[in-house]
Order: sequence, then C-alpha cells, then structure tokens
Amino acid sequence: MSVSAGKSVRLNRLFNPKDGKAVCVAADHGWMSDPTANVMELESILHKVVQGGADGILISFGTALRLGHIIQGKNSPAMLIRADWMNLPRLGGANVSNILPVVNFKKMATSFAKDALLVGASAITIYYFIGYNDEFETINIEQSAMFARECRKIGLPLIIEPMAIGGMVSGVNIAEILIASARIAVEIGADALKIPYTGDVKTFKLLVDQSRVPVLVLGGAKSDVPRDALELVDEALQAGASGTVFGRNVTKATDPQKMVADLCALVHENKSLDEIFGETSKSGYRLKAIPENCTGCQLCEIVCTQFHEKNYGIKSARIKIHAKGSEPAFKPSVCTLCGKCVNACEPGALTIGDKGYLVLDKSRCNGCAHCMVACPFGVITMNAETNTPIFCDLCLGDPQCVKWCKRDALTLVKRKENDVANKLGNEN
Amino acid sequence: MNINTGKTIRLSDFIHPKDKRCLMVDTTITSTLGAITGLEDFGTVLKSINELVDGIIINPGQLEHQAEQLGGKRRATPIVRVDWTNAYRHNDFCLPVSNVKRLMISNGDDAFQLGASAVIASLLLGFNDEFEANNIKELSLLARECHPISMPVIIDIRPIGPKVSLGNFSESIKLGVSFMLELGADALIIPTCDSETYQTIARWISVPVLLRLNEFPPESNMKQMFDAGVAGIVLAEDIFAVSDYAQKIENLKTIIHQ
Repeated sequence: MSVSAGKSVRLNRLFNPKDGKAVCVAADHGWMSDPTANVMELESILHKVVQGGADGILISFGTALRLGHIIQGKNSPAMLIRADWMNLPRLGGANVSNILPVVNFKKMATSFAKDALLVGASAITIYYFIGYNDEFETINIEQSAMFARECRKIGLPLIIEPMAIGGMVSGVNIAEILIASARIAVEIGADALKIPYTGDVKTFKLLVDQSRVPVLVLGGAKSDVPRDALELVDEALQAGASGTVFGRNVTKATDPQKMVADLCALVHENKSLDEIFGETSKSGYRLKAIPENCTGCQLCEIVCTQFHEKNYGIKSARIKIHAKGSEPAFKPSVCTLCGKCVNACEPGALTIGDKGYLVLDKSRCNGCAHCMVACPFGVITMNAETNTPIFCDLCLGDPQCVKWCKRDALTLVKRKENDVANKLGNEN
Repeated sequence: MNINTGKTIRLSDFIHPKDKRCLMVDTTITSTLGAITGLEDFGTVLKSINELVDGIIINPGQLEHQAEQLGGKRRATPIVRVDWTNAYRHNDFCLPVSNVKRLMISNGDDAFQLGASAVIASLLLGFNDEFEANNIKELSLLARECHPISMPVIIDIRPIGPKVSLGNFSESIKLGVSFMLELGADALIIPTCDSETYQTIARWISVPVLLRLNEFPPESNMKQMFDAGVAGIVLAEDIFAVSDYAQKIENLKTIIHQ
C-alpha cells in the first residue's frame, strides 16, 4: 500500500474504509462523445447519483467547476477528475451516435494533477490504451508516467484505466492483454485501476491478484437489462474487485438513483442479485464455454453451420474455436448475450427477443456491421450476399453446439444464474 | 574518479564499501510484460529476498507500493528504473512488438522523492540510427539532471537490436561502455560475454561494472568473474521462475561477500 499520507487519506475518501470497496459513477461522456440526454441532463442525474449513495463521481475539469457544488460535504461522493481526453467513441462502430466522425485515434493529457487537486478532487483517472499500435501505446505509457510523477509529488491518487482496443486485440487475447496491462499500469504508478471485465471470474481474479491495488470493474456499454449489468459486477466482486465504476448504465438508466442504490446493495451490503431483483426475474439462457474441456475438434462449428446454412463448412459458424499459443489448448468463443451488438445497432434491428436470444428485424438492418465490430468475442460476421449479420440465435432455443459437444466444453446456463461454484473458471 | 560525496554515499548503499562488490536483482520487466512467472506476487517475492540482495532494481510505481519494505540496514536498496521499452515483447507475448519504442518514465527528482539510491536506464544498441540517437539524448539528459542532485546513474547496456550479431556482440558492448563513460555514468551493467571482454572493460574503466545474468551462475564461474574485475552481479527477472531462487540467491550472497 502507498505510504503517501495524501494518497492514503484521499483513497479513503473514495474507498469505504469499512469494507475497502467503492461504487463510482462515470459522468464524463460529454467530454468525449456526442451530447446525448445523459450529458445534457447531467445536473439532475448527478443529484440522483448522490442520493443513491455513490462513493465517487468521475467528471471532467469543466464539470467540476460547473457542478462541483453537488458533491460538497463529508458524506458526498469523492470527486474524480478525468485528466485526459480521447476520441474513441467518434471512431465509429461504438454504441453512441456520432456527429463528427474521426479517422485517427487520438488521446491527449488535458489537465494537470494539480488542477484536479485545486478543484477538490480525491483522485484523477486517465486511460491507458493498449493493442492499437506500438506508437499509441508508447504515448499512453508516457502520459501515465507523467501523471504518476506529478501525483506522487502532490499526494493525489492516480487511477489508470487500461483499455484493450485496436486491431491487435481479439476475443482470444483480450483477457491476457488486460491482465498484463493492469500490472504494467501498477508498475508505472497506478494507485488503483478502473478496468473492463475480462469475461470470466478466473481470469479477472488473476488480474486482481497480480495487480495488488484496488481494482474497479467498469460497466461498459449500456445494458438493456439492469440485472445483466449488475451480474458483471457480481462476478468481478467474486474475483476480488474492490467495486465498480458505472457510467452509461447509471446515467442513462430510467432511475439512476435506484441503479446506484442497487450497486451499493451488491457492493457494500453483499446482497445477492436475487435479493436485489427478486427470484422471479427471468432473462433466458445463454451459452457458457469451458475451455479446459475443449479438444479443438470443431464439431460445434460444423453443427452450427449445418443447422443454419445446411452445409458443413465452418466459415459462417456462430461459434469460433481458437488455438491458444503454442500449447495444445483451445478456447471456444461463444455469444454470451452481453448485448453490446444490440447497443451498437443504431436502427434497432438487432434485439434480444422475448425468448431470450438475439433476433434480427431484416427490414430495419442497414448492413452497417456495427454489431460485428462491437462484438467482443468476434462471433458476429457479415453475410456478404444479404449484407446482414450472421449471429448466434441459440438455434432458436435449442443450441446444437451444446447438444453435440461430447466433452461438455459448452453448456447452457440461466442468464440470471449467480452460482459461484459453477461460474469459477467456466466462463467464455 | 571524481564523483561527489552524495553519489559516493548512495553508491555505497548497494556496492559494499569494504569489498566493493554487490548482488542485485532486476524486477522491472513487469512494466513491459506484466507479471511474469515468479513475479506475480511482488510483495512476497520482495520479502523473501529483501535481506539477501544489496540492491533491487524496481519500477517507480512498484517502489511506491512496496516502500515500507525497502531501504534501511540489511534490506535491499531501491534503484529506480526510469525508462520503459517494449523491446522485450517477443512473439510469445500476447501483443508482440512491431516497432520498438523506448521512453523515460521517471527522473532523478522523482527517484529522490521515492527514496531511491540510484537511477537506472538502458542503452539499447543495434536498432536504427534515430532510435540510438534518441536513446543517447535521453540518457545524457538524465546524467546531467542527476549530477547536481548527486543521484548516481547506472546504465544497463543492452545490445539486443537486429544489427547485433554473435560476431559483433562483444565489440557492441565495448562501444556502449565507451559511450556511457563519456556520458558520465556512475556504474555500468553489461550482459554476459566472454571473460576477455569484461577483463578488458574492467581494466579500462574506473566505474563499477556489474554483470547481468539471466540465470544462476555455476559457483565454479564466480571466482573467474570477480577475478576479471566485475564488481557485482545483477540477476535478471527470469531467475524468479526457479522454485528455490531465494536459497540460490543466499548462496550467491555468501560467495560474493565472503
């Protein structure tokens, strides 16, 4: 643990000293993407976030000057300042509208740590993009180191947000990259991490164990079902996370106050999802891969194509088997119904239907392929003839891959399931 | 050699003033590769070797987190790595490197603030001309910046670029040593090479020369190394993958300082 008194005191403002955990809300989207409703109504949203009991609020320097008064007082959330800027949401393919698209990925340091201290911040947050290209990562390392030095000097905690983004990142290596980047960030000077979920409890636990600083899991794209968003946090907590930073899942929620209160119930009161949402909550089934059991036989890919395309090729399979490294190990990538494709679909053609699997309204699909780009597991491809996405529809509720896999490397689990024993190490 | 008192005292924090020898470990590749085998739980590793080594080369962020364990009598002296490179990302890493990069992540003032007794940076040799020129520029800035604040500068000479081959390896080391002496380095780390090369280097220069070893050396080689004029050993990160690394380090310590 850091020995700087300033850092310790400020981290204690963010992480509840009783349980060492924190529920934070990221409200810095207006700084980097289009002025959507959650940006334009930020003042009223922040009031609700405070009432919900958040431990921290991530805002830009300008918002701190304009709305900092909302978080005054000992029991108010700690202020975290976003000290950099980037244009990733405007590169296209993300889940927001895009007024002025950009071509080149850029990131700039925009505030000094000292500026954040002057407006009463308890920490600053900066990005560390890895996986785009070597030049861009080097810029990120340089800026991280610069902030680390300044923060050390003034006793302000530095929260680094590693993001595995770019052409070098795939469903196969994303967990490995996130684990490595977390430790790299700590070596450079992070006092805490804000990081995406790796996709399963086992790898996220590895990330937490190797980082040895508080790890806050981020919520990512807005989920249609609040329970799904909280399920991710639940799994991250099982892996040892110290809490969460939720952005659009709170600021775009119908009831931001309730969303924050639910997060607090999960993080601080150790309530189960069933206690929070009620036992009767139903959200269907989803596939779960167990890589340890996979032999790489690719039978799942074959039966998938046979069911959907009536042929035996595997090119248009909705499941992908990847060989991992030089060892004879395989990783099935399956659709986990994370909903990122649904969020990325601007015309609303792709949805999770009543029966709990993805459905496409072809009349609304414009062939933009944003769903394909948004899929973190690379299991959505485009049909060149129809210009529509090829995606997993759980074989209309009876997945053939699960049926045919003789090694139980694929199973079907309830989306609301939160059975720890079953989840450990078994996620896709 | 004419270095100032501050540098002399700080160097003696890890190069024993009586026998002029030292045993150090380098743990800093984690800033490039993440947690490698054996270094997953840094705090526990540090605890196991803290009283066995004279110095530990450590990244600034990690030093900040482990500060309570470091420094003081009998414990490892922290030496801060002030640069970062992706040059060690090989094809078995999840993001193999395409363009080799190197940059400074800390400086003398920062190292002081962290309580370090020296700073260390690498001279990466054998890459393209622009890369080499930038490397020299940054290291010379570091040396000039550290001189007035009496912070010793250790340069880690790494001939690892594509222009280096078995044929010019030893000569590349000598070139690096020459550059870094001219630059004002207070100690040098060189890679394992033939004994004739380090005998030549040890005779030639007056600053301490330490040898970087990627694995534990056989005891029989130790006398030869020190007879050749080497002031100490820097064990690289790979040694932590050995299950009984602490025992082996303890054995080395006995031999080095006996």
